[in-house]
Amino acid sequence: MEVIQEGLLKVEPGLLLWTIITFIVLLLILWKAAWKPLVEALDARAEKVRGDIENADRSRQEAEKLLAQHKIMMDNARNEAAKFIADSRAEAEKLKNDIIEKAGADAEMLADRARKEISLAKDRALGEIKAEIVNLSTDIAAKIINKNLNPNDQKALVEETLNKVRTVQ
Amino acid sequence: MVRFVQFVNSFVTSAGNTACGEDSMYDIVISHVTDKPFHYFVNPHGISQLFGNMIFKLNTFLGFHSEGSAVTECLHGHPYEIIEATPIKLFGIFDLRITKWVLMLWLALFLCALVFIPLARKIKKSPMGSSSRWVNMWEALIGFVHDDIVEPNFEHGYAKKAMPYFLSVFFFILFANYLGLIPGLATSTGNLAVTGGMALFTLFGMFAIGTIMQGPLWIFTGIVPKGVPFLMYFLLWPIEVMGMIIKPFALTVRLFANMTAGHIVIIIFIYLVMMFQSYLVGVGSVSLSLIIYMLELLVAFIQAYIFTSLSAMFIGSSVHAH
Repeated sequence: MEVIQEGLLKVEPGLLLWTIITFIVLLLILWKAAWKPLVEALDARAEKVRGDIENADRSRQEAEKLLAQHKIMMDNARNEAAKFIADSRAEAEKLKNDIIEKAGADAEMLADRARKEISLAKDRALGEIKAEIVNLSTDIAAKIINKNLNPNDQKALVEETLNKVRTVQ
Repeated sequence: MVRFVQFVNSFVTSAGNTACGEDSMYDIVISHVTDKPFHYFVNPHGISQLFGNMIFKLNTFLGFHSEGSAVTECLHGHPYEIIEATPIKLFGIFDLRITKWVLMLWLALFLCALVFIPLARKIKKSPMGSSSRWVNMWEALIGFVHDDIVEPNFEHGYAKKAMPYFLSVFFFILFANYLGLIPGLATSTGNLAVTGGMALFTLFGMFAIGTIMQGPLWIFTGIVPKGVPFLMYFLLWPIEVMGMIIKPFALTVRLFANMTAGHIVIIIFIYLVMMFQSYLVGVGSVSLSLIIYMLELLVAFIQAYIFTSLSAMFIGSSVHAH
């Protein structure tokens, strides 16, 4: 008993009572003036932060969904465009081939016609030449008949006529 | 330097003064770590004695002690003419004289109010969180109390209700611990009456919470684990009741011993300089006492944490039956 009445291990009831009084006063003052508003404010902030994080999470998920949708749409559009281009190219190719074919056919036809016309013209010319030859021969025969010719003259005349004919031909 | 050490030595031990003998090491240590009432110095020297006289007069005014008789007493080797009064005890037990330790408790209370009341206002004013370092530091400590002390021992609804009490306990003990590390002040928590007072709150809390949450018969049904054989109950119940008493007692002794031990070591290291009167010892003991001081800075926080954490555990365990 002596040890708690004196020295280091002394328990002074008065000091104990003061401790209790001081702590109760501290509790009363701080509970009302500090801890209550403080804990409430901190809780409210924690709640707000939690809400914000949840919102952000939701927004992110939504954004991801939208992004995926956009990607699919973009892919579709790209595929469509590619198909469209391929179709157009095929059509253009076909059109080109058609045009070339038609042009070839036209050229062929023109050439045929030209050739036909040439041959017609040639036939006509040959007919005219034949008529001329007949006339010339008639002329020559008339000349031979009209003139008394020596053999040399005769020969020269024939040759001359023949040359005429050749030049005409 | 030697002169300085001798000066300090003469101040502490007053070797030259013949009327009083030297203080023994025990006296010096004990005078630093124990509480004693203020005397009235008839011829006060310095601020501390004047301040002591003020408190003495306040005690007289409040009727905590009767006018005593003048005596000559040796204090730190000097003879002083002082007035020693006899306490008037409340109910014959409580010596309510305001002592240094009581003043330290009040200082801790005052500092708590000074820090946390404006802090609460600031935190309430800025719902997005303040950018001030001061506010954030205390917020981090409050968060520490919430996350590491209250939250693990209470369910969510109760944790919010229990927070103010444990914040009070933690910061009151923390401030008291750190005040003791300021030279010239005293460690109020290095006293069994103070730590005992705080532990009584824990004991009271255990009983009160148990009674409120589990009904008045809690003391018979709540503390013994369920499912023990009927006969074992009579063996276990006294043990559990004893445990309930021992828990706050352990809190009392742990805080007291931790806060006192470091101070005693620091004083003894300093005293070694006076004993040996040598440079080498001076360098060694001052640096060692500095290291102990650093350790004390850590211990002051850890002990506040442990006291509050164990209180929370004890009180939290009486919310539900075992």
